[in-house]
Amino acid sequence: MQYGMIIDLERCVGCHACTIACKAEWEVPVEFGRNWVYRMGPAMVENEMASTYYPGLCNHCNDPVCVPECPADTVDMTFTDAKTGKTETLEVAATWKDPFDGTVQIDKSRCIGCGACADACPYNARYINSEQLDDVSDDGKADKCTYCKPRVEAGSDPACVQTCITGARIFGDLDDPDSEVSKYVKKGAKGIEPEGGELGPNSRYFGKKKDMALLFNSQKPELADLNQVRRRAMLASMVKPAMKTIKNIGLLGVVGVMVAKHAGDKEIKE
Amino acid sequence: MAFNLTRRKFLQSASLAAVALPLSKAVASESGIKRSPHEAKGSLKNETVVGGICEMCFWRCQLVGKKRDDRLVKIEGNPKSIDNGTSICARGNAGIKLLYDPDRLKYPLKNVGERGNPKWKRISWKEALDECGDKLKAVQDKYGAQGISVFPHGSTAKYPMHFFERTVGTPNVSEASFFQCRGIRDTAYLATIGMAPGEKVDMPNSKVIFLLGGHFGENVHVSHVKSYMKGLQNGAKLVVVDPRYSASAAKSDIWVKIKPGTDTAFLLAIMNYIIKNKKHAADFIDEYGDGFDEFATGIKEWTLEKAAGECDVPVAQIKEVADLLAANAPNVSIHPGRHVSWYGNDFQRQRSLACLTGVLGAYYVKGGWVPAVTPKVGKASWEHKEHDEDHNLNLNSDEELIHPYTPPGTPTELIRDAALTGKPYPIKGCVLWGQNPIQTIPGQEKMKKVLKQMDFVMCVDVMPTDVTMWADILLPEVSYLERYDYIKTGTQWDFAEKNQQYISARMPLAAPMFERKDQVYITNEIAKRMGYEKDIPVKSIEEMVDKNLKVAGLSIEQLKKEDGIHIREGKNPYNMPDDFEVIFYNEDLEDAGFPGIPTYIPVEQPPAGFARLLYGRVPVHTFNRTQNNVWLNKAMPSNPVWLNDELAGKMGLADGDEVGFINQEGVKSRTTTTVKTTPGIRKDSIYMGHGYGSANPLMSVGVNAGVDDTSLITKITVDPETGCHGMRNNFVKFIKDGKIIDIPSAA
Repeated sequence: MQYGMIIDLERCVGCHACTIACKAEWEVPVEFGRNWVYRMGPAMVENEMASTYYPGLCNHCNDPVCVPECPADTVDMTFTDAKTGKTETLEVAATWKDPFDGTVQIDKSRCIGCGACADACPYNARYINSEQLDDVSDDGKADKCTYCKPRVEAGSDPACVQTCITGARIFGDLDDPDSEVSKYVKKGAKGIEPEGGELGPNSRYFGKKKDMALLFNSQKPELADLNQVRRRAMLASMVKPAMKTIKNIGLLGVVGVMVAKHAGDKEIKE
Repeated sequence: MAFNLTRRKFLQSASLAAVALPLSKAVASESGIKRSPHEAKGSLKNETVVGGICEMCFWRCQLVGKKRDDRLVKIEGNPKSIDNGTSICARGNAGIKLLYDPDRLKYPLKNVGERGNPKWKRISWKEALDECGDKLKAVQDKYGAQGISVFPHGSTAKYPMHFFERTVGTPNVSEASFFQCRGIRDTAYLATIGMAPGEKVDMPNSKVIFLLGGHFGENVHVSHVKSYMKGLQNGAKLVVVDPRYSASAAKSDIWVKIKPGTDTAFLLAIMNYIIKNKKHAADFIDEYGDGFDEFATGIKEWTLEKAAGECDVPVAQIKEVADLLAANAPNVSIHPGRHVSWYGNDFQRQRSLACLTGVLGAYYVKGGWVPAVTPKVGKASWEHKEHDEDHNLNLNSDEELIHPYTPPGTPTELIRDAALTGKPYPIKGCVLWGQNPIQTIPGQEKMKKVLKQMDFVMCVDVMPTDVTMWADILLPEVSYLERYDYIKTGTQWDFAEKNQQYISARMPLAAPMFERKDQVYITNEIAKRMGYEKDIPVKSIEEMVDKNLKVAGLSIEQLKKEDGIHIREGKNPYNMPDDFEVIFYNEDLEDAGFPGIPTYIPVEQPPAGFARLLYGRVPVHTFNRTQNNVWLNKAMPSNPVWLNDELAGKMGLADGDEVGFINQEGVKSRTTTTVKTTPGIRKDSIYMGHGYGSANPLMSVGVNAGVDDTSLITKITVDPETGCHGMRNNFVKFIKDGKIIDIPSAA
């Protein structure tokens, strides 16, 4: 099973209902988004006027570049196939690709907030949610579209799909040849690949030829320099536990904590 | 968006102080011993509250609320709805950010500074109501009821408007939804088919959808967009007439890049061509038409060539549109439009649209103009008392109507001119209820002068909009999520489906906070103080809703049991009433001194160096009402100005350049926005989204965000038949780094 989402650009009217519904559903901070809508054009595409939208979200890639970059300690995690009850145990860091439904997920309790995964994602589909704090991370937690996993598992539609005013967002199993999403793929729905990458994005776009050309010509994501991502991640993973220890044994004291908090706030503002 | 973040952080610390956490506890949490990630759990399992009806815009979708610990966390479409279903738009979804907006009005306020530069002092409701009652009574005693002017907008404004209009007896009511929006459409169709048309085109079952300026997607009314999309998916051809490559133009089969103001010429040529080639609906016209021969003769001069020259559109394209419409008649949707107060020649254009629908026989047929048969509910409100007609500003010295086709109320400009001249009588009291004339009515400075000369100005609103700065007393109202009031009725939007009717009433999804009150309470209390206690029609807003529901055999209790929406069997919408007629040539209009046959009246063209300022909707804003909503602001923080890319090259402007504007009268924009260069707009026009650039610092998100297009609309045009405004007759140049840049468009 591989969940995927089709955005039918013939139906999309660029209204932003999807982005705001997602914000409400998942308490996404004002300045961030798990999904987005950019307007493309009006521009000339091969002597034809065109204008369309780029409603983007996590692609839950077949081969996600974000997952291997997570520097958090690994644990054994047992996954269960919702349909068959079959289980599989994998060694995962704080983010992984689910072997059964194909979605890419994050364990917030183990995420150290280093941002390596966000840096690695060529689509900017991840961000660090600075409101999600705990002992493990004072910087926040990586956050992104989960394809509304908790809603879907409870039998509901993803929030963006439910609210979409024109039925332009279609969610389903790309491995099921009879699913609506698979039919769109057969009709030519395509994902946006970064230059030189073969990630296998599972959020895909379908539309008129000129609109597809406009979207794909203007959206050329780039693969990140993974060496740089890794250097930063390593630095972060070394600093975090030390800071946590200092706080836990109360070395900073009340005043120190206040000062530290203050400094933190200031950083966020800037 | 560092600003918003800062504000939220500030509020967090403020609320922390309010609960006065013991220091020991604060220290424990700060030292991080017991903290867990605030991972969002989603709203799915939260309690569902039914009965909401949206008013982020005035389409009014049916809602449910998701509630967690007494706090509304999410708003969704009501799954029982046969109108919007589970869908709501960006604004609907952002409703909770209005509900909990820290900038919302919370307490009655008295202006102890001056109008326009207020200093607010919190006062009690008793003091506020006493002052409103006393001051309005004083105006009434000194100048008569007509000395009170009312600027209402929205569901809450109906009840107070009826009080002042029907019971107190002032005719001087100016509703923005009529005089700055759809009034012209309504009365032009009234003069043609005897009914206001709404937007009642059967798009799902249409073969051609024809939009004149309609920009769906940028303009969003959920079930309307659904019905448009269903039509397109069913294979309807889409014709979009617009100077700009709008969201709808992007989905069109034919985009007519028309010269602004010339639409009537375009429509006349289409009709003339269709009639000349005998492609009109002759049988339909025989049976239902009136004055068709005079009409056909009267528009003969409008050849394709003549219109092509006037409209700056190729002959072949006008012919193509006409042929497409004729070939698919009568199953064509000629959309009547909604906001149509454009150029001051709009009544004639709206009449032309109504006539074109008739020429094609597209009334009460599949895909045509089809009003649904909707359920009847009550209209409990203030009673009409006897008032003499002497004070109607719309009468000239010969007792003839100046604007005979005016929508209900008094044309805005007549009210403002009377207020400024004191003739024929002074207007010294002003009630602003849900309307923000500063960012709605052209001539901002004129509006300010009108407000300045009043003896008393009161304002009731949810947000501190720009006009609230001009109030003496400012009253905080509950929002649409915290009150009963509006009753929404209708049918399924696709007439190919089973005919059903629905009745739903707005019910609160959240309890009111602070000292906010509803319109029935506020109006009744003012009425008591003005001596109208015995005329009060309902004691509470619930009583009003129950009375109105009773007419349909329903009650609030019953609706609650039915998940907020009562659904019953509907009726065939295609049955034409026996007395239906299309008045092509209207003799009454001619008797009143206006063209009886739809007539093209040219508008002023931009002088050298200027381009016409066009404005329209963005999907995340409703007029200027939503600009402080932090989610909506973040989605589209500014209103970039569309500039033709070839012109931009000549002007040395590029995408993202920060610019301001100066108009033909030398009025400059207070703020700036960015340039969006595109081939998708004519060279004689520029375009920006409406609903930006508030001047009120109390709107901490919306203030100075983008440019207020209304501030540049200083030349005032009035549509002669209706007295409604034309708002697209102003011309601008750009300002960059303090330097004025000409727009070389005429070349």
